[in-house]
Amino acid sequence: MNKQQSYNLTLKIRRFDPDSKRSWIQDYHVEAGRILRFVDLFRKINDEQDPNLAWSSSCEHGQCGSCSVKVNGKPLLACELLVENAVQYFKTITFQIEPLNVAPVVRDLVVDISTAYERIDQIKPYIIHPAPPPTENNEYPITPHELERYVNATRCINCFCCSSACISSHKTFLGPNAMLATIIRVMDPREQEKDQRLKILYSENGIYRCHSSRACSFVCPKEIDVAHFIAVAKEGRITEQE
Amino acid sequence: MNKALQIRSTIHCDLLIIGAGGAGFRCAAEVLEKKPKTRVIALTKGSHPQKSHTSTAQGGLAAVDPRDPADDNIFHMFDTWKGSDCSADQNVVRKICGAAWEQILWLENRGMHFSRDPDGRLSKRTFGGHTLNFGESSAYRAVFEADRTGKGIMDTCWGETLKRGISFINQCLATELLFKENQCLGCIVFRQHEGEFIRILSKATVLSTGGSGQVFKITTNCRQNTGDGLALILQSGLPVMDPEAVQFHPTGIVGPGILASETLRSVGGILRNRKLEPFMEQYAPKMKDLAPRDLVARAMASEIREGRGIVNPDHNVEHVWIDLRHLPDAVHEKQIPEVTGFFKKYLNLNPKEKLCPVHPSNHYHMGGIPTNEFGEVQTSSQEIIPGLFAAGECAAASFHGFNRLGTNSILELITMGKFAGEKALTFLEKFPDQFPEVEGNLSFLRFSNYMEASGKDNIGQIRDALRTLMTENMSIFRNEGGMLKTIESLKELKHRADKTALSSKSLRMNQELVQHWELDNLLTVSMAITQAALNRKESRGAHFREDFPERSDNFNYHSLISMEQFGKVELERREVDMRLFEEKGQHADKFGLIERKY
Ligand SMILES: Cc1cc2nc3c(=O)[nH]c(=O)nc-3n(C[C@H](O)[C@H](O)[C@H](O)COP(=O)(O)OP(=O)(O)OC[C@H]3O[C@@H](n4cnc5c(N)ncnc54)[C@H](O)[C@@H]3O)c2cc1C
Ligand code: SF4
Ligand code: SF4
Ligand code: FES
Repeated sequence: MNKQQSYNLTLKIRRFDPDSKRSWIQDYHVEAGRILRFVDLFRKINDEQDPNLAWSSSCEHGQCGSCSVKVNGKPLLACELLVENAVQYFKTITFQIEPLNVAPVVRDLVVDISTAYERIDQIKPYIIHPAPPPTENNEYPITPHELERYVNATRCINCFCCSSACISSHKTFLGPNAMLATIIRVMDPREQEKDQRLKILYSENGIYRCHSSRACSFVCPKEIDVAHFIAVAKEGRITEQE
Repeated sequence: MNKALQIRSTIHCDLLIIGAGGAGFRCAAEVLEKKPKTRVIALTKGSHPQKSHTSTAQGGLAAVDPRDPADDNIFHMFDTWKGSDCSADQNVVRKICGAAWEQILWLENRGMHFSRDPDGRLSKRTFGGHTLNFGESSAYRAVFEADRTGKGIMDTCWGETLKRGISFINQCLATELLFKENQCLGCIVFRQHEGEFIRILSKATVLSTGGSGQVFKITTNCRQNTGDGLALILQSGLPVMDPEAVQFHPTGIVGPGILASETLRSVGGILRNRKLEPFMEQYAPKMKDLAPRDLVARAMASEIREGRGIVNPDHNVEHVWIDLRHLPDAVHEKQIPEVTGFFKKYLNLNPKEKLCPVHPSNHYHMGGIPTNEFGEVQTSSQEIIPGLFAAGECAAASFHGFNRLGTNSILELITMGKFAGEKALTFLEKFPDQFPEVEGNLSFLRFSNYMEASGKDNIGQIRDALRTLMTENMSIFRNEGGMLKTIESLKELKHRADKTALSSKSLRMNQELVQHWELDNLLTVSMAITQAALNRKESRGAHFREDFPERSDNFNYHSLISMEQFGKVELERREVDMRLFEEKGQHADKFGLIERKY
């Protein structure tokens, strides 16, 4: 297959200026090699056209969840989206790029992620009451089989793509990633405080707000089957001992 | 001075953590656990602490399991000493290796999801440079959480500190340390969202700002790693130690330089050249592909130089291959899924079927803020600065000397972080109730220069020029001519940067403004690296001089470099601690000035 080496793209980026509180859409025309990432495009815009365009990133290889944006409506990591793949997936060379709708916008594509994190903080993302290991000065034994039940949920990087895609979480629902963080600790044998966990899980803001659309699983850049974990929790199967 | 620049408010706290990565978090957790209700504030430059660079550490965490009949702390100490090319400090090596397993259990007991063996115990894997019996065979010494070990540490420590009431200030810059009569009393902070400066007065302050990899064009480091901690220290008239000791990771993925972890080699990946020869056999007959990073990186660069590299058409760079095709599916899927995923994601290539292009990528800064074994920051005459601590990649105690072994960095975070926390606790006990008044002035000076500059240029382009310059002249091979040229070019770039006007004068979430400030730090750190490297007329660990290819006993010391004003450097020395050798205990002979062969 003969691959096209570069593309002339149009990026329609949603801008917001906190000083004037003005919001608008700005078009940028960018020529880009086939395996440049969208974060590279933003940097290219800063270096060549507009140093003011604000966007977020940190690791730039899909490990930290800082660079989430919506591209043509789909929440994703801008550091993982290659030009070639974007053109193929969305079947276009014009892209609408918006900030995630999970927290107030600070400027352009930058949102106040700390606010979004407050939902995770609420579910207590730590072991509330750790079980002491059966033999002192040792690890708490967990077999690979036991770990396998929830290890996938621990891969979540809190990029909030799922929350952005989940209609329910725009209201009272704490959101798919907050649910994952709770479910992990219900399933982790080292957590003794299961009651508090279950209360949160089955509370007003908990999993019953989820209507099983599976949008979360569909958009998760880590390919975590979030909806599956939530379904298992709804059925009450997460508290079962193996 | 620009009128918009003023201190909006002053906050008081007991402990200030500048940089909530692995080291900063472990330190905060220690203090909060031992003394609940301590007022701890942690700063981070990213949007949230969980986004810190530690979250990307993949491979593992070295620690000798006391239950392991084959392994022993003394072997870990030896490997670290040998790996450092005889320039780690032996008091630090002993202290860290001795505390390692306890710290692993600390993490495990608090919920870290380590990978397990069939009996439910922590699994272990081998890593380059880690051996049994003083180099005899590979040691299984690295515990890990699949290929997200750093994330495991971050999630655990973040949770622990959150549980115990830490306060975070995210997306901010520490722009200036505050001192009164040599005692550190906190810092000035620029809050990016609000575009405001605040003053934080703290009884104890910990610098844990991480690495400086953005100095180089091809790097595994995240966007925030602009060496701010080192620049803050230099700006305060204090020294940095061994800045010339910069590590290049052999297997950066062609393009941006994303790290393909050492794990790829420890699970059996083989480096090959254009003729598909497994070339490491010639450079390190015993350890082969598992030899330490600097040797592997130099071998790869030599293969490329001698015409046995391959050109990548998309990025137009030369590289060699790593071959993963022969590894069983289970290894691909269970042990290295994230890393092999990178090749798929960033190159659209399947490592089960195809060779993967890799080239050396800047990875780690061994040099940093000089501290003693407790994390207390020192002056050039090795006096302790009361109230100031440093830990993690921005610090140099020095555990790694001139070359760090894989898995030893995140071990350093959780041990030195804890030690610094312990010391800070005793320091807090003695602190008087009343805070002395201090003000800062350097931040406003720097920021008002940025606001008032009027030249037409682009910060991003100057940064790119700097990074290319450093990659070309200050990477794996260095020589005097190249370094002298680099120093001149750095001065020119600094001159250009100083004149560059901002395209918007808004202070709120103005990335260009932040990048200008970061660029100044990158320039400062680059200058320190280059000057110290020029002065070190020998090759040691990751510092390789083509004009002086051998290690020389005349340079058995740490370089200390101060630079209050850009380009005006003062060089001093710190002796390497060799007490394991000098105490003449069992195996003392292994800790002398030994040869570094693998
Ligand atoms: C891809 C990759 C993989 C790695 N894998 C391993 C491994 O397997 N094993 C191993 O031992 N090591 C590994 N390392 C090295 C290791 O990850 C780092 O050395 C280590 O994480 C550094 O931790 P830290 O706590 O010092 O800093 P970081 O985690 O980088 O944290 C620094 C913090 O300081 C903040 N900060 C910086 N500047 C400022 C400022 N001016 N104001 C306020 N806050 C600031 C940052 O935002 C961040 O929160 C790896 C490194 C990379 C790049
Ligand atoms: S499955 Fe539930 S949690 Fe997931 S997106 Fe749909 S409503 Fe939200
Ligand atoms: S579950 Fe997936 S999409 Fe949701 S925050 Fe975690 S990593 Fe992101
Ligand atoms: S920048 Fe870290 S996930 Fe994209």
